[in-house]
Amino acid sequence: MDIVLALWYRNIKIFTRNRVQLSFTIIMPFFFLYVFSAIFKNDNILNPVNYMLAGIVITTVFQTSLSIATSTIEDIVSGFMKEVLVSPVKRIQIAAGQLLSAATIATLQGIIILFIGYFIGLKFTSIITPFAVIGVMIVVGLVFSGLGLYIAALVKNSQTFQIVIMAITMPLTFLCGAYIPLSLLPNVLQYIAYFNPMTYTTAFFRTIILEKTTLTTDQLIAEQLAFKIGNFVITPAISMFIVIVFGFVFLLLSTYVFSKVDFSRINRSKSKEGDIWS
Amino acid sequence: MVNLKNIIEVKDFVKKYNNFTAVDNVSFEVEEGSIFAFLGPNGAGKSTTINTLCTIFDKTSGSLFIDGKDVTHEKDAVRNIIGVVFQEPTLDNKMTVNENLIMHCHFYGISKNEATERIQFALNLVDLLDWKKAMVSSLSGGMKRRVEIARSLLHYPKVLFLDEPTTGLDPQTRAHIWDYIVKLQKEKNITIFLTTHYMDEAEICGKVAIMDTGKIVALDTPYRLKQQYTKDKAYITTKDEQGLISLLDKGNYSYKQKPGYFSIEVDDIPKLMELLSEQKSVITDLEIKKGTLNDVFLEITGKDIRK
Repeated sequence: MDIVLALWYRNIKIFTRNRVQLSFTIIMPFFFLYVFSAIFKNDNILNPVNYMLAGIVITTVFQTSLSIATSTIEDIVSGFMKEVLVSPVKRIQIAAGQLLSAATIATLQGIIILFIGYFIGLKFTSIITPFAVIGVMIVVGLVFSGLGLYIAALVKNSQTFQIVIMAITMPLTFLCGAYIPLSLLPNVLQYIAYFNPMTYTTAFFRTIILEKTTLTTDQLIAEQLAFKIGNFVITPAISMFIVIVFGFVFLLLSTYVFSKVDFSRINRSKSKEGDIWS
Repeated sequence: MVNLKNIIEVKDFVKKYNNFTAVDNVSFEVEEGSIFAFLGPNGAGKSTTINTLCTIFDKTSGSLFIDGKDVTHEKDAVRNIIGVVFQEPTLDNKMTVNENLIMHCHFYGISKNEATERIQFALNLVDLLDWKKAMVSSLSGGMKRRVEIARSLLHYPKVLFLDEPTTGLDPQTRAHIWDYIVKLQKEKNITIFLTTHYMDEAEICGKVAIMDTGKIVALDTPYRLKQQYTKDKAYITTKDEQGLISLLDKGNYSYKQKPGYFSIEVDDIPKLMELLSEQKSVITDLEIKKGTLNDVFLEITGKDIRK
């Protein structure tokens, strides 16, 4: 446990010292907000800005945790992590340290955006809400850092790695209702969106942060916080359940695959095959 | 005669990456307490071998044992008794020297009190006590390497793996680092396993394994390798070329005449000296060069170690 904390703490320290990265991750979402908020204006959604902001916060958490977890492998291949690999530290402890720090950093970024959002008009009426919001962010951070670590451990070839990350991040972000409401998407894409764990994450998160837990099912559907598939309604509660299931699956897969990775086969640098350490 | 134990035993080790064979059926043993070197050009398979012994890579086939423990199936046991200094620095640049060393102690389960004592000793050994609180990023390349050596000792490993320990360092630093390594070995009786492409480093080692394209092409002490594969050379300068030539012909020496000097292969130095003393006036300068490990490599593979 000691080791996990030591690894976790080291990652946090490094992140807080990288100011450029920090500024970018804060500025970008607000750019998107400005551009996309017009799309969300309709009769049913009272406050499109807050609505969008919620989506932005959670997608930031998702993207950050994914990218930090995937960079674990780069960390390992080049530098500091090598020393960890030859020590008796177990792979699962390394994985845990990475997952926890990815989730923590992602949550911190989410909180920073929320804080700025407060000045744009996002207000909480209940005292429980902020804690619930942070709690959800941590869970989401863990879920997607699990996914990131899993991908990182699976994809060994450097060329396909970048493409895979793009191919995963783009649809997950844009087909979840955060930037573009699902109702505006063509049918085929809507259908795909129902397979996207981020869709349920976004709906659930929005419900919590906008304090809409007391609405009726029909109102929830109108505000796109619940989904009707055929005759079955996926309420925010069910969304949460779906997200947690995804989370367990990702975490199990990632720690298992990570423990078994043969690092000699990972070729992320541009040097010749097998030349990874020389 | 003391029967020295073999602390590293490798048999029929093969490492393949898809179709590429990096290490092709390599076998060797390392005696406990010795300094053992893998010498060879880049791409020979040295780093792959050392990385497999360090438990980072998995083997394709064969058996590798360190102190009786299987490198593939008893990874944790092996990791506790080995120390590794990699080719490039693996220190955390954004932390202090002390923080890096403490982190290492965490990984190896060394208690806080023990850690303080051991860090003191290790830093003292490499003369970096004054830099304990300095940021790693402020150290030079040679100092970073010394910190890594200090760090690798904290858990009292039985075997220390050094992957090209002085590559990229200036000659003075290289000499110092070697002083530490030798001092270390004498004081702690640690077995040292290193890879290098510097001949002068390999010369200091107890045993050298010469590696080329995945195979060990020679394995012996530096002295015996040179004896077996090279000849000493004598370089003679003279003002009386004819005189020297007739003298050499008398002794049945074949020679090469180069601009400014003659070079002769010598088997028996006293015999040459006896011959030359017959007509000392013919010689203005004499130099005897012993064969180097590069000559050994050249002889065996037809190539230079450094291309």
